[in-house]
Amino acid sequence: MHKIAEVEIQHDIMVANRKLADRNQKILDDAGVFSVDVLGAIGSGKTSLIEILIQKMDHKIGVIAGDVISKFDAGRFEKYNIPVVGLNTGKECHLDAHLVEHAFGDMPLESIDLLFIENVGNLICPVDFDLGSHIRMVVISVSEGDDTVEKHPLIFKEADLVVINKIDIAEAVGADQDKMVSDVKELNPDIKVIKSSLKTGQGLDEIINIIEGFINK
Amino acid sequence: MHELSMADAMVKTVLDVAEKNDATEIIEVTIEVGKLTMLNPEQLKFLIDVLVENTLLEGAEVNIVELPVELKCNLCEYTGLADMDDSDHYLAIVKCPECGERNVEITAGRECNVKNIKIEKEEGDEDA
Repeated sequence: MHKIAEVEIQHDIMVANRKLADRNQKILDDAGVFSVDVLGAIGSGKTSLIEILIQKMDHKIGVIAGDVISKFDAGRFEKYNIPVVGLNTGKECHLDAHLVEHAFGDMPLESIDLLFIENVGNLICPVDFDLGSHIRMVVISVSEGDDTVEKHPLIFKEADLVVINKIDIAEAVGADQDKMVSDVKELNPDIKVIKSSLKTGQGLDEIINIIEGFINK
Repeated sequence: MHELSMADAMVKTVLDVAEKNDATEIIEVTIEVGKLTMLNPEQLKFLIDVLVENTLLEGAEVNIVELPVELKCNLCEYTGLADMDDSDHYLAIVKCPECGERNVEITAGRECNVKNIKIEKEEGDEDA
């Protein structure tokens, strides 16, 4: 004889990830490390910005470089003789808290005080996955089109700092950089939005000051 | 392919619970997905159907229930459903439906929950 039974599960995968993310943040706090999740579109300048921050910021910096194949970006960071962990996502389009926890095993947290976690270039999937970082910095560029913010609202709603990069070529690509700023502000009125050009150096000091402000909060 | 990892985690959760409850068959699964997750229910369903081949879940009815978006307004204290046009996420996360304030918190709509399963088991088996 068989019987039918209903079994309540109530297992929320988002909640499970958030719990792991909270644990990651505790690990970072215990080690005295401030962490920045760096998100953004492919080719927006995430890796280049982190490279500049490594050189300009007066901190002991480590980087977790997440990508479908991470060795390319990881190799760029290793040139600066800092701790770097490459995190291959393989077929996945985002990092999650579980992957980051694994990366902590290879990152000497006791010898750094600032950790950048570069996410996979993507404005959609990473939104759902907290990693345990203290702030989220989203990097986009004018060459992606000035409707990028409108088309991907949630990532900007959840961000702490937005960098709009490559403004030196805004005119050439026909992008209205001020529209991009106001689109972000509409979604997230109190957020800091910086217009930058990594090529000319515009906006870099401001980005650094804002990150320092979060660290000292 | 964001849906693949989610579908995989869901299938593993269901199979694990079914095994612990000595299921001989899984009849039905209900999954709740918030409308503000970056998940497409159609793609999720397709991937679950692929992943369940040759498992106890093959042939089970998979119900995906979309959950609405809820907000808390930081100005007028409104809490409740967002005024959401199905084709547009933008307004839902921007404005309070009562006072129009943009400073709002999303309180629901980000779920990805394996809610329950209906299983068949041998009579007399105790629940795990």
